[in-house]
Amino acid sequence: MTIFRTSLRNFLSHKGRMALSLIAVLLSVAFVCGTLVFTDTMTATFDKLFATVASDVDVQPKEKDNAQESSIPATLPASLRDRLAGVPGVAKVEPEAATRNITVTTANKQSLSPSSGAPTVGLNWNDSQRKSMDITRGHQPRGADEAVLDSDTAEKHHVKVGDTLRVIAAPGDFRVHVVGLATYKTTNPGAAVLYFDTATAQTKLLGSARAFTGYGLTAASGVSDEQLKKNVTAAIGEGYQVHTAAESKKENKKSLGSVLDVMKYALLGFAGIAVLVGIFLIVNTFSMLVAQRTREIGLMRAIGSSRRQINRSVLAEALLLGVTGSVLGIGGGIGLAVGLMKLMGSLGMKLDTADLTVKATTPLVGLAIGVVVTVLAAYLPARRAGKISPMAALRDAGNPGDAKAGKVRAALGVLLTAAGGGALLLAARSDRASSGSALLGLGILLSLIGLVVVGPLLAGLIVRVISAVVLRVFGPVGRLAERNALRNPRRTGATASALMIGLSLVAALSVVGSSMVASATDQVDRSVGADFIMESGGKGYTPAMLKAARSARYLDHLTEYTEVSARVTTPDGKSGNQRLTAADPSYAQDLRRQTVQGKLSGAYAADAMSVPEGFAKDHKVKLGDRLTVAMTDGSTARLRVNAITSDDTAFDKGAMYLSTATAKRYLPADKMPPPRMLFAKAQDGHAKEAAASLKAAMADYPQIKVRDQSDYKKLIKDQVGQLLNLIYGLLALAVIVAILGVVNTLALSVVERTREIGLMRAIGLSRRQLRRMIRLESVVIALFGALLGLGLGLGWGATAQKLLALQGLDVLEIPWPTLGAVFLGSALVGLAAALAPAFRAGRMNVLKAIATD
Amino acid sequence: MTTAVSIPRTGGSGGHAAVAARGRRIVKSYGSGETRVTALDQVDVDIARGRFTAIMGPSGSGKSTLMHCLAGLDTVTSGQIWIDETEITGLKDKKLTRLRRDRIGFIFQAFNLLPTLNAIENITLPMDIAGRKPDRAWLDRVVETVGLAGRLKHRPNQLSGGQQQRVAVARALAARPEIIFGDEPTGNLDSRAGAEVLGFLRRSVDELGQTIVMVTHDAVAASYADRVLYLADGRIVDEMHQPTAEMVFERMKHFDARGRVS
Repeated sequence: MTIFRTSLRNFLSHKGRMALSLIAVLLSVAFVCGTLVFTDTMTATFDKLFATVASDVDVQPKEKDNAQESSIPATLPASLRDRLAGVPGVAKVEPEAATRNITVTTANKQSLSPSSGAPTVGLNWNDSQRKSMDITRGHQPRGADEAVLDSDTAEKHHVKVGDTLRVIAAPGDFRVHVVGLATYKTTNPGAAVLYFDTATAQTKLLGSARAFTGYGLTAASGVSDEQLKKNVTAAIGEGYQVHTAAESKKENKKSLGSVLDVMKYALLGFAGIAVLVGIFLIVNTFSMLVAQRTREIGLMRAIGSSRRQINRSVLAEALLLGVTGSVLGIGGGIGLAVGLMKLMGSLGMKLDTADLTVKATTPLVGLAIGVVVTVLAAYLPARRAGKISPMAALRDAGNPGDAKAGKVRAALGVLLTAAGGGALLLAARSDRASSGSALLGLGILLSLIGLVVVGPLLAGLIVRVISAVVLRVFGPVGRLAERNALRNPRRTGATASALMIGLSLVAALSVVGSSMVASATDQVDRSVGADFIMESGGKGYTPAMLKAARSARYLDHLTEYTEVSARVTTPDGKSGNQRLTAADPSYAQDLRRQTVQGKLSGAYAADAMSVPEGFAKDHKVKLGDRLTVAMTDGSTARLRVNAITSDDTAFDKGAMYLSTATAKRYLPADKMPPPRMLFAKAQDGHAKEAAASLKAAMADYPQIKVRDQSDYKKLIKDQVGQLLNLIYGLLALAVIVAILGVVNTLALSVVERTREIGLMRAIGLSRRQLRRMIRLESVVIALFGALLGLGLGLGWGATAQKLLALQGLDVLEIPWPTLGAVFLGSALVGLAAALAPAFRAGRMNVLKAIATD
Repeated sequence: MTTAVSIPRTGGSGGHAAVAARGRRIVKSYGSGETRVTALDQVDVDIARGRFTAIMGPSGSGKSTLMHCLAGLDTVTSGQIWIDETEITGLKDKKLTRLRRDRIGFIFQAFNLLPTLNAIENITLPMDIAGRKPDRAWLDRVVETVGLAGRLKHRPNQLSGGQQQRVAVARALAARPEIIFGDEPTGNLDSRAGAEVLGFLRRSVDELGQTIVMVTHDAVAASYADRVLYLADGRIVDEMHQPTAEMVFERMKHFDARGRVS
């Protein structure tokens, strides 16, 4: 108990010195708890939403394996309605006519589709909608030209009751007046929703007055959902998907759950990196506290404390730190989750803070992480404290720093780094993706640990080099800074390592990202022959859209591209489901593909196709072989293999080509998937006119973007850039913790060197010089970390690129401007980190500083 | 004040002031009201140039405070202090720092050296900070005088306590300051090492013409000085020229007795 009381007193008397460690624990725990609370809240919110929308029993078309893509969802006959109404136990049948394949535009041709990627839904207004929606303005839709829009979308796009909207649906375009606005009673999941009356939804969205996409059944009182399901199945047979409310909820939850899980584990991964970085900070703090308390601990030992007691007293302090940090972190995490919910709100998904879900496990997980990490991090310093001899009490404590890092450490570090380097080298040379990525992972892990271990030794070398370049201009103050950075290599190494971790990931990802962009750009240049690429932005081009595209002038050709589903049987007797690329023959010019055998244009001949190199090898398919291709919902063809395409490509990897004409021969017209993309080539010398004409022709369809090659390259660049920015944003947490680590090291160093500072001030070091000395030390540590991180990341990135060259990532592009910016940014970070410690050092009273024990 | 003016400011040799530092009506007090403690009470003092002055007195007499104030390390509550012609009372930190750097040398009781710098780097540190090149010949002479020639590349933790203090003396001498202040410079040394250091201080006064002010409570140390000032209760109560250890010891015994009586 005495031990604990000393620990508590020490902890409280060194509050300031613990502050940054506390923040590090707090941030890590907050991020973990925030992630958990946020994802749990999302789950709870959607559970509630699903529970509200689900009918007692839902009847829907059975999902088919390998179905053809269709612009109109699968439907059930309208006649089923009466049969269902006659099933015993059914109180009410609500037919549903819904599609997600619509685009709604305003009078000035702006799409109402959410920018978040959430769908635009068109469906009939019926009683079951009232469970989740209220018509808050106007009235429900009552005729062919009336519609009700959800109020959030209306607000965002300034649509009012009385406005005219254009609906671009698969059967054709039509106009409606907005006659009312509907407001969510539950959480708005972010979709844009437009309601029609039932007949309009059937004819204009599904293209048939005799079809529905499903039926919602209400059970008569006293009839359970399960019983109703049994009755329904007995009445209409097995050809339908019949789900009870509970089953629908489960189904919905499963599909959403996997998305949320990906998000959750990605966020937790980044939190993990921050936790790892925080460990360095805590290790440094406790090492310094123990070093500063050497005499005190020596005295305790001299008067009879055992090693274990000393050891435990340090660990008890760590425990206090861990508990305090975790408790604050759990609170911070809930705050973070609320912040994230607000952020999602601004993106269109309105989450209600009343639904904030804090599971009992969340604080437990937060507390466990905070405490375990802190105590673990303090273990080594605690052991070192236990080893302090009673003699330390008698020695004068003008210690110049730790002894040099040991030989064991050196050997271990070099060994690990070398093993890591070796694994990376093997990964780069690997020609199989699976073993290569395992080697890459191993290499990353080993080289990271190796550099952390060997960091203190490298500090001696690299800090000298950096100092020679950067600090020499600052003369004696620079030299003092260099000496200070070098005096305790272990501390400098640990501080820099923390920064290294975050920055190495930044560097590696930036290398991979820019290599991706460069490779794709290179591939576009090499293999794309089309001048314009037009993705449909939905489930394909409607005939009206196609007609509009074909009306464009100055075009050499326009290629329709889609994919058809089929079961392909190879001569070796094996068969499997495949998606075949069905395109016009001009596609061979639009996307030039290398073949290993035959000519690509040959694949577009009647009853012909191509197969990729790997597939041909696996199934021993030779040029001229005939494959049995059974089209889903169509007839079976025997197609001759006229070309074998090379696998060395970034686009259309693994695609099997056949002509649209061949596909149409074996598929009924209503089952033929609509074109998903169009490619166009301008007539020679008319590129500009063609672009203008195409854009004008497609102006009515804002969801379709006409992109030329440079637009397309930019699109790739933007997509990669967005992803990278997101990851950088999440890595920022780890970098912030690392920066706190630099601040922490400097602040504690200043405390530790109080007497020295006093002495220097007494013999004439000015405040400015003193502050500069501390800033320069900080800059050197930061640059050291940056150099390690960037070097390591560069190695990882380059290895990953070599490995991914197998997947078409064949250009290594090192983003020097980014890396340079990170390096310079680190110097600035160093300056910023030194602000407070330097200020404090400058304000020290000279006499008091000298007199400090 | 008349006495202060009557002290000749110009000595016999080369137009230099014979007084290296002087203080007039120095008051230093801490706290206020009931808890007010006066450490220095209207002290007038003159430090002669080229002489070795020791300041003695019982604990709490204000001797260290006087030295700190004279050296520009501490501020006074009232009164004036000059180093040569420059009044240092009222100087801003920047100018005061520069004055300490360029014109004053320090030797503290302990922890005189930066552990990261070796002996010679520590010796030249004040000049490095000032961005001045040390005078090579002078530096050699100082190093030789303090007998450190073989240990210049050693770090402080590789030197004995006596050697460390000799490095500190060399540092104080190397920049040729107008005045060196020592705060119990031999307080942490055994008598042999202490005698060595004091010997160097004496020689630097005799041979190099250095002005030294040293606070000490050790009668033997004080006996190396040309003049001993005695402080008690924040006032200069006595002084002694060309002291011997016995004389100083006797004088101090008197203080102790008085201290017990009062």
